[in-house]
Amino acid sequence: MSRYLLGRIASTGLVLLGVSVLTFFIAHIVPADPVLAALGQHAREEQIQAYRRAYGLDRPVVMQYVVYMGRLMRGDFGVSIRTRRPVAEDLREFLPATLELGGAAWLVALALGIPAGILSAIFKDRIFDHLSRIAALIGASMPVFWLGLLLLGYFYFRLRWLPGPGRLDITLSPPPERTGLLLVDALLARDATALVNGLRHLVLPAVTLGLFSTAVVARMTRSAMLEVLLQDYIRTAKAKGLPVPRVLLVHAFRNAMIPTLTIIGISFGSLLSGAVLTETVFAWPGLGRYATTSAISLDFPAVMGVTIVAAVVYSIINLIMDLLYVRLDPRVRYD
Amino acid sequence: MRRRLAVGLILVGVLLIPSWVPGAAAPAQDTLVYVNDISDMISLDPAVVYEFSGVLVAQNIYDTLVAFEGEDLTTLKPRLATSWKIQDSGASWKVTFKLRPGVKFSTGRPVTAKAVAFSIDRVIALNKSPAFLFKDVAGLKEGNAKAVGDDTVEVTLPKTASPQAFLSVMTFTVGGIVDPDEAMAHQTGTDRGEGWLRNHSAGTGAYTLERWDPETRAILVANPNYWGTKPKISRVVIQHVPETSTQKFMVSSGDADIAANLTSEQARELASSQNVKIQQGRLLQLVYIGMNAKHPPLDKVQVREAIRWSIDYNGIIKSLLRGEARKVQTIVPEGLFGFNASAPFQQDTARAKALLKEAGIGSGFSVELLVPTGPAPGGVKWSDLAAKIQSDLAKTGIKVQIKETAQAQLLNVYRAQKGQLVLILWGPDFPDPDGNVTPFTDYDAKTIAWRNQYQDAGVAKLAKQAALATDLAQRRALYKQITDKVLHSGPYVVLYQPTTRFALRKSVQGFVWNPMAFAEFRTVSK
Repeated sequence: MSRYLLGRIASTGLVLLGVSVLTFFIAHIVPADPVLAALGQHAREEQIQAYRRAYGLDRPVVMQYVVYMGRLMRGDFGVSIRTRRPVAEDLREFLPATLELGGAAWLVALALGIPAGILSAIFKDRIFDHLSRIAALIGASMPVFWLGLLLLGYFYFRLRWLPGPGRLDITLSPPPERTGLLLVDALLARDATALVNGLRHLVLPAVTLGLFSTAVVARMTRSAMLEVLLQDYIRTAKAKGLPVPRVLLVHAFRNAMIPTLTIIGISFGSLLSGAVLTETVFAWPGLGRYATTSAISLDFPAVMGVTIVAAVVYSIINLIMDLLYVRLDPRVRYD
Repeated sequence: MRRRLAVGLILVGVLLIPSWVPGAAAPAQDTLVYVNDISDMISLDPAVVYEFSGVLVAQNIYDTLVAFEGEDLTTLKPRLATSWKIQDSGASWKVTFKLRPGVKFSTGRPVTAKAVAFSIDRVIALNKSPAFLFKDVAGLKEGNAKAVGDDTVEVTLPKTASPQAFLSVMTFTVGGIVDPDEAMAHQTGTDRGEGWLRNHSAGTGAYTLERWDPETRAILVANPNYWGTKPKISRVVIQHVPETSTQKFMVSSGDADIAANLTSEQARELASSQNVKIQQGRLLQLVYIGMNAKHPPLDKVQVREAIRWSIDYNGIIKSLLRGEARKVQTIVPEGLFGFNASAPFQQDTARAKALLKEAGIGSGFSVELLVPTGPAPGGVKWSDLAAKIQSDLAKTGIKVQIKETAQAQLLNVYRAQKGQLVLILWGPDFPDPDGNVTPFTDYDAKTIAWRNQYQDAGVAKLAKQAALATDLAQRRALYKQITDKVLHSGPYVVLYQPTTRFALRKSVQGFVWNPMAFAEFRTVSK
């Protein structure tokens, strides 16, 4: 196992190298000048040249990449052209909000998607299955941006059941920042008001963001369950007179989870990309908004930083998924 | 199992259906909630800030020596200085400010002439985005601002700089006066407190900064040591809400008091609301077409004049912009000193055709129009504006090929003098006519006139004369002469001056948008 882990970490390193090369060079072949984007049309030639020198943009692109990677190895993501702060500081500031939102959306996807998938498989071709399939189709095809506005308009503006945008009510002060994860910070500070308010603020964006993945997880769980339910060992379990819930949840579902896990892992990636729009609608101060604003401003160091962090998060999630296979299926061995 | 189920049910109950719990507490009577996209806010240090949202905050936490109040950018008003005078001392200009007695910083320390000199020197030493206003526009170097006693500051300007432009610059955030002791107490390395002042305040404004959480909110609270009339609103929350539909929900429901950038459709929808009113705000931008004066046939004055007579300005303003712009055709925007209201051009196809005939190209010609992507000021897409221009010019026989490109890319072409027709905007860096007239007329300044290859030594000389004039009547007359001349001989079609719109709860009073992109919350009540 440890050899496998080392191998995976090494391959993750290669993936990150690939991601950095691709992002860096794509960013530099974009036919637009980041200096003009930063300084605007009022800047004079000497200001432009000074800016290029200050950010190392006057060097050949390959040299810029080598310098960048050298610094990255030392944990230095460079300085953001837009915010003029170290990118690492920006990432520390914005990543927790996205992780919190992505995590909550993931929970929504699992909490709704897995039961819906199981029930659809059990009641195959019956009314629940049809309804669930239609719901999944709608969930998967509805634009996140539109869904967010719809939910906000209905549950916040019309019914007033849930709060509006942001992570906390405007009238509340956030708990002292320790982790950047508001709910965790509220727990650590034993601030029940902030905790409940933060949870309520999380509901609409998490549902908005999680609905797409819910549909995908539900469809995958259904098809995996259907396949497993036809296996001999399920027939045997039923023939032995085991209670149906036990057969379904322990024997069938556990085996159906193996292919579903892959989708669950991949869905976290789609959550990170979907977060851009959700964060815009719900004024969520996360990495998605930071990435968009940075990309529009041609802020290469920030774009690189976000891409690398997203790739790291994605790799870690996938590694965890791979390790979970072992737990679910004793036949899987990585030695 | 049962316990888990119970916990689960309680959680769902807390989160989802507490209809008896209001969605959000409405802001208190003494709190003003202003919502906008504030993702551009990167620092609140007056020596660094140069972004719209940052300027809005900094103008409320730092006072300047002189100010333009409300919408009026033509009359300087006293602020931390009670009086000022400009003297010609031969080799240089001397601008002397007399400070208001008894003013304290929010920290409790007194405002002294040394603090003013420190603040000006600090901007030059830090050399951040707005430093060019002191260094290049006013020609200042460290040490040019000197304390003469405790209450008098003397600033020496080179003879090449415009003293009036310097005074205008001093009204902007870059002229904000910082408590030197507080800044230096938080110095890291040689940053003169820049790192600390990024998200703290040490000024004399009506408000102080309570906190700023990037991409979340900035909270201002009334400054207990404020020298002027105590503001009616004691707490201002500037909340980050990038999506305009969300802003609309918030201002409609009363969770926000002011929404800053609704679309024109959203503003129209809200205009009929019982609780919300729409207010226009003036901007200093000009949307114009630059015509390359060396690119045939645009090198002929008649051709440029024919283009100006071809365009349906009223149609653009009424139909495309739905009235959210002013018809301005000269190069100084309305609101600035020296504005010339002359707007002779309207669509007159026959006259335009006659001018083309006079230029020897009665059959028309083809030309390329470079257009930025995205939205133009005033709530219309650049591409829609370009399509309207294309259709207007086609009536005169001018065939326009629209080339849409990202603004940064467009600027590369424009700066290299390779544009033919370029649709773009310009906003002055400081509220003085020189911020427009020099770029539009002086080829050697290497900005707009250079990009359009417009060389008129006579106009450029007048522009320099006007910039340096200290007699306001003479200055006004010079700007009238320049703007009249450029209106017909220059390579520009000024299309409109956009306005911006705000949705306000009807209870909000006293909100006035300064065209330099901020509002003073001290005048607001609700």
